[in-house]
Amino acid sequence: MIKKVVVRRDLCIGAASCVIAAASVFELDAENKGVLKLKDGSKNSGPAGKEDLEDAGIDDGTLLLAAQSCPTKAIFLYDETGEQVCP
Amino acid sequence: MSEYKYLIVGGGIAGTSAAEVIRQNDKSGTIAIVTDEPDRLYSRILLSKPNFFLERIPFDQIWLKDSSWYEQNSISLLAQKKAVSLDLASKKVLLDDGSAIGYEKLLLAPGGYPRKWEISGGDKKGIFYLRTLTDARNIIGAVKSAKKAFCIGGGFVSFEMCDMLRLAGIEVTLILRESYYWEPLLDRISGELIEKALEKGGVKIFRNSEVAEIKGGEGAKSAILKTGEELACDMVVVGIGLTPSINWIKSAGVAVNRGILANEYLETNAQDVWAAGDAAEFKDSILEEDVQLGNWVNAQMQGRRAGFNMTGQIESFKLVSFYTTIGFGVSIAFVGDVRPIDGRKIIQRGPDEKGSYARIILKDSEVVGATLINRTQELASISKIIEKNIKVESRESELSDLNFDLKKLVNG
Repeated sequence: MIKKVVVRRDLCIGAASCVIAAASVFELDAENKGVLKLKDGSKNSGPAGKEDLEDAGIDDGTLLLAAQSCPTKAIFLYDETGEQVCP
Repeated sequence: MSEYKYLIVGGGIAGTSAAEVIRQNDKSGTIAIVTDEPDRLYSRILLSKPNFFLERIPFDQIWLKDSSWYEQNSISLLAQKKAVSLDLASKKVLLDDGSAIGYEKLLLAPGGYPRKWEISGGDKKGIFYLRTLTDARNIIGAVKSAKKAFCIGGGFVSFEMCDMLRLAGIEVTLILRESYYWEPLLDRISGELIEKALEKGGVKIFRNSEVAEIKGGEGAKSAILKTGEELACDMVVVGIGLTPSINWIKSAGVAVNRGILANEYLETNAQDVWAAGDAAEFKDSILEEDVQLGNWVNAQMQGRRAGFNMTGQIESFKLVSFYTTIGFGVSIAFVGDVRPIDGRKIIQRGPDEKGSYARIILKDSEVVGATLINRTQELASISKIIEKNIKVESRESELSDLNFDLKKLVNG
């Protein structure tokens, strides 16, 4: 179970593979960096709990695919025990 | 002769993504990837990024697959081997070492190769192209001692190379054959916004210019322009476009144009042969045109789609792809099909005083693409407008209004 998502801005290059894989979660901001679309309407690179995402119901497979498709391994996913699931 | 159920020519993101999907769907079918490079899958898109070049991020960040991944997934990586001919009748690919490989299903994902710079002295030491990790390693080495560099050509790679070289403290001269950056793909306003940023960052630009000759001994020492002017340089990075290397594919009887022709399922005209990535010229089912794209997400998603289709989970390929970059304080993003070809209408959105400017490209009152300078945040909305084929016939004044939120068009 994925609990937490973070985009490492220092690694992100704006390739936007994540946006293609999960457009309901990821977007690029004005600096070409990946941000998470949050429930409260704000957007930032996290860390964010999965329950705080605008699309909190997104399935783990899609989130995992988005993270795994990142060409700079900039998306970090953690499970409920705090264990890093990806990369 | 070795034989594989799935043979993939090309070990880049298209070919490797296909192999990954194939293995998920077919646990036992044999898979081989042929690549002319020595390395396993790496992040080619990262190669041109300044942070990688200047070693601000660990080199190992480049690897996208562990060396054990291939074995764990029973995928044979046949490295440093070039496919040189194809026999469709006997379903065989011949490699440059003389060996032949049989296939049941073949994916052609050979990628593009840098167009060669055909000038006198163009093969001297110190002249670089950027395609492979080996090329990047050579440039990283050269940057450490170079003082004066030339960049040839305008485009994404040249822009990123200029940025990297300036950050490394090297004097940079950019040679453009055209009268402004990225002519004619961009308009003059966009080109000049990019040039202004480059010049502010210390890049000297020669427009309407070409190098006639590179002089020096074994290594480059100076460049002589066609005007006769001689300028010192100890390093040249050439980025004048990519060409696919597909003559061997054409000779086999696979239909090609500029790239390998494929339908919306990424099938070529030949039985059991698919194409994906930079070398594929595919039927874009959103644009309803044959297009060839050279960007990461296109190659990645085409590779995945081809992998599914080769294992019988057949769907058409649908994607609005894009590429973005940032440097010298300016961001550039291309979305969809940005070619300003006949019959298309271009809506200008801006520029404003901060230098943000978009061009939205219409065909038959639908958006097919956009170029964004300092407006990357609109990329998602524009992609959706393209993907959903939203009619914008009566909305042109809104498209050109910087204060109009494009999301409103997406949500109807």
